Amino acid sequence: MNGRVLHFYLAGINNQNFLMRDRETGTWWQQITGKALYGPLQGAALELVLSDELSFGQWRSESPSGHVLAPVAKYTKEYDPNWEPDVAKLPVVISFPGTELKSRDVVIGVAVKGAARAYPWETFAKQSPILDRVNGTPLLLALGPDGKSFRVFVTRIDGKDAEFFLQAEAPEKKDWAMLDTTTASQWNFQGCAISGAAQGKCLDRIPALKDYWFDWRNYHPDTTVYKH
Amino acid sequence: MPSTTPLRIPSAPRTTRGLWIAFVLFALTAIALFFIPAFIIRPFSHQSPRGLLIAMALRDRAPAGTLIAAIISFVFGLLLWRYSNRWLKSLVALTLVVVAFSTVMARLNYFEWMFHPISGAQFVAQSASKLDPKEMILAVRLSDDARAYPISQMAYHHVLNDVVAGVPIAVTY
Repeated sequence: MNGRVLHFYLAGINNQNFLMRDRETGTWWQQITGKALYGPLQGAALELVLSDELSFGQWRSESPSGHVLAPVAKYTKEYDPNWEPDVAKLPVVISFPGTELKSRDVVIGVAVKGAARAYPWETFAKQSPILDRVNGTPLLLALGPDGKSFRVFVTRIDGKDAEFFLQAEAPEKKDWAMLDTTTASQWNFQGCAISGAAQGKCLDRIPALKDYWFDWRNYHPDTTVYKH
Repeated sequence: MPSTTPLRIPSAPRTTRGLWIAFVLFALTAIALFFIPAFIIRPFSHQSPRGLLIAMALRDRAPAGTLIAAIISFVFGLLLWRYSNRWLKSLVALTLVVVAFSTVMARLNYFEWMFHPISGAQFVAQSASKLDPKEMILAVRLSDDARAYPISQMAYHHVLNDVVAGVPIAVTY
């Protein structure tokens, strides 16, 4: 922040999201938004780094020289690879009755220039790839060959809208690819063209958050919900 | 006229009333400075924006505030000790124990007792990792530095300070 490196630590819970503080100023920050709620840096916002939620297998195939965080020996019994069903059973402290989704429904949340949309995971998993338009920006939500990794791309090639579709089921899952109708290029799950006129180009990415409906709705009160 | 003075327990001077009031006020201040934010920010409870602000403001002032209030409470408590019967002495002692507890806890981050932070994070090359290919990870790539943070680990530690390609980041889950 302003050229100063901050180091964060867990400081509390707020409606099932967490609060953190930085050691340098003691300012309180909301985890999900990266905004400073209280303290000397109140009002500041941390810059979001683009990240993906992928299966280790998928990531590994894309990042041959990548590095993985090693588990800390004395905490290995706290790591729960089955955390998802366990957490899904926990009580919820805020809810939005009258909205079409249930509190612990999983959604992919996307925000484009202030406009937010939630894509119910179940719908997405069945319909992938989903082509949509949020705030004027054409998007494509893609489920990876492993059925769990996902990415959201802006479907523009050289600034012009393009149409994409999934290539017919390849014999091996790792041949997953999309095709576009503008340049007839093949695109991989990283959004980069591996053949065709657009070869070497990569689509822009949009940060997407896999979240529970109640949390996404809490921080994006004006969010729309994708329906098809 | 029999000159007998009725037997009396040495009565406390009127100023002890003031001492009691002060003792209670400062003791309650120390206790409230810890317990009110702890109560507001408790797991599985809802916080309103206003409640959250109050909790953060109190928690910020708590380390110094509890210490000052505790010292004053102890002073008053000791002064009141000799004017107290056994019952009141127990009450004073119990109150001071809670004051001491609040003062200590105001300086401790019990959230990190529940979710220990990682210090000195180690990374292994993806080829050397024993992680199951189906386990989900958070992936970050900056320049040529590609890092994966297993969600099962981040869901416990919640926050990790790291530097990727020279950029200081906080990984959170």
